[in-house]
Amino acid sequence: MIKFIIRRSLGLVPLLLLVVVFSFLLMKAAPGGPEAQFQGNKKISQVQIDAWLKRWCLQPTDANTPILEQVGNYFVEFGGWFGILNCNRSGSQAFFSDSGGLNVLPPALGGGSNGVIHGDLGYGIQSGRPVTEIIAERIPATFILAFTALVLWVSIAIVLGVYAAIHRYSLFDQTVTFLSYIFYSLPTFWLGLNLIFIFGVALRWFPTGGIITTRDWSPFNTPQYWQQFGANPGAATLDIGRHLFLPVLTLVAVNIAGDSRFVRASMLESINQDYVRTARAKGLRNRVVVGKHALRNAMLPVVTNVALEIPFLFSGAIVTETIFNWPGMGRLFIDSIGGKDYFVIMGLLLVTAIITLFANLIADVVYAIVDPRIRYD
Amino acid sequence: MTDQGPGADKNSNRQEVFISPTGAPMNVVQMAEGPQPQDFEVSLESLNQWQIAWRRFKRHRLAVVGTGIFGVMILLAIFGPIIWPYDRLALKPVTHSGGNPPGWMQNPRTLADPFGTDNGGRSVFILTVNGARLSMLIGIGTTVIAVTIGVVVGSFAGFFGGRIDGLLMRFVDFMLTIPFLFVILVMARFFGAGDPIVLTLIFGLLFWPGLARLVRALFLSLREQDFVQAARAVGVSDTRITFRHILPNALGPIIVSATLLVASAIVTEAFVSFLNFGLKATDLSWGNALASSQQYQIVGNWWWAFFPGMAIALTVTAINFMGDGLRDALDPRSRE
Repeated sequence: MIKFIIRRSLGLVPLLLLVVVFSFLLMKAAPGGPEAQFQGNKKISQVQIDAWLKRWCLQPTDANTPILEQVGNYFVEFGGWFGILNCNRSGSQAFFSDSGGLNVLPPALGGGSNGVIHGDLGYGIQSGRPVTEIIAERIPATFILAFTALVLWVSIAIVLGVYAAIHRYSLFDQTVTFLSYIFYSLPTFWLGLNLIFIFGVALRWFPTGGIITTRDWSPFNTPQYWQQFGANPGAATLDIGRHLFLPVLTLVAVNIAGDSRFVRASMLESINQDYVRTARAKGLRNRVVVGKHALRNAMLPVVTNVALEIPFLFSGAIVTETIFNWPGMGRLFIDSIGGKDYFVIMGLLLVTAIITLFANLIADVVYAIVDPRIRYD
Repeated sequence: MTDQGPGADKNSNRQEVFISPTGAPMNVVQMAEGPQPQDFEVSLESLNQWQIAWRRFKRHRLAVVGTGIFGVMILLAIFGPIIWPYDRLALKPVTHSGGNPPGWMQNPRTLADPFGTDNGGRSVFILTVNGARLSMLIGIGTTVIAVTIGVVVGSFAGFFGGRIDGLLMRFVDFMLTIPFLFVILVMARFFGAGDPIVLTLIFGLLFWPGLARLVRALFLSLREQDFVQAARAVGVSDTRITFRHILPNALGPIIVSATLLVASAIVTEAFVSFLNFGLKATDLSWGNALASSQQYQIVGNWWWAFFPGMAIALTVTAINFMGDGLRDALDPRSRE
């Protein structure tokens, strides 16, 4: 098992490298590029710009630079961004850090501290703060929304799917099937907009956006906010809960549809197996047959499916966070694209790709653990 | 026998419908090449594979309704803008100011403006009809590009196997690893420039990996089947085997997933435009209508966002039902 996990993790390394290269090329191919954004930002002084350009090994390029030299510059820039090259040095010396070791190595072994490989994702062009910091402070909001929704929709989908499978072709089953088709097809953002109108604008039951009531609390996830949260945890949780309601409802409504179908199909397959018939033939009570024999086996594919859905939580977050003005990673992504904040975009691409890869890995591992029939070595 | 979808060779088609007088399986060489002697068949009712598929499709009532709705939407996209042309400058005078929502954004209550009006007093109905054209074009264009790439890559990988397969599939793995929506948004913003054709290209270039994987799997299983072996044994060329023997049999599942691709391309376009990263604000599409209406929803104009969004939802639901019916008809084995 451990061998399997290690082998699979090693298999992820080339994919991750490709993602790093891809996000770098995407940004370089974009018209303007980071330099133009630095130049256009009035908040930053020329000294700072020069320091940053140097830090990233960004090479001055214009239309007159020969193609070969441009390609060479790309390699240097990528080396700096990735952390192979030390931008403070030039020539072949650039491969070594200030302390003399190879720059790619971790700092403890005499390596440098710049570049993705050392966990340094650069600086946000808009705010001038480290990207890791910008992304990290958005994680709690995304996490709260995504996992509340995930837990709710998975548990509801399991209940609906199992019930529909046991009472196959009943009125309930057909209603669930029909509704899930409809909801599956609804565009998330349109559903969200309509929910905002119904519950936020017309009925005024729930707030239309944001994560907290801004006039009662300090901005979310600041030290002041957590102080207020500590002083009055009940009211703070209730406030977040009220704001959570509509975005969670949107996510749950759309995602329940696909998942309940999945659970139903999996349960149906398991109910028709021989061991279920054997259990019935032994005279076991229906509850035991369904709950112990059929359900447990039906849950195997569901577990994997849920693990595979985790990355979609983050893409789904882009949609919901945008329309509900939720201060999470999705919202940050949209804002960064709008402002062409290259390093934040690259950082987010990387973080999401890592999450996707690890979710796949976890799905495999969990499947191997819960299903003893699977042998991986 | 081995038929998975419709088409295939005329001969292998018959396999499901006709039986030889002795009930014995037909000669493999006959199936692979050459015409089937007519008097060999005991025909109860002569139906080809497509007719059988059509029968199965008709049984799925929601799919038939969905196809009808989709057909109407296509007709609207083609002829709607001619019958109800949209005029950006045809602003209606303000009838009365103030109120919530402001009076010039009429409620959907008149026969002239059944869907109400937007912030310039223009009919939302006409806006919705005119939006159909770009939304549909992008949806279908994306699918054509994605299916072409997907089928080419998938069949190469599946047919030749070995190193080509490994390389292509690693690339597909990688394409599926990069967060799809993120990349679409970045590319639409940086390279899209509001051009529907560029946007379609971007979508097409990002939508194909799932399909390539499906086609590869189909090819892998089909190329081992007896009728392909037989064709190979009689010396049929690779190209002919691919196009005459394998591809027609793989057509069913490909058509099904192509149908579903149209739906997701339409939704993706709407979403990208809704975020203002897609089409120019002056272009008419359902997503753009949602984008410009969003700020007026807070002051009470629900219909401007509702009807174009409803058009998306209706089209996508219709396509999904259609895809489901097609799956029943063309690819019955993939069902539960």
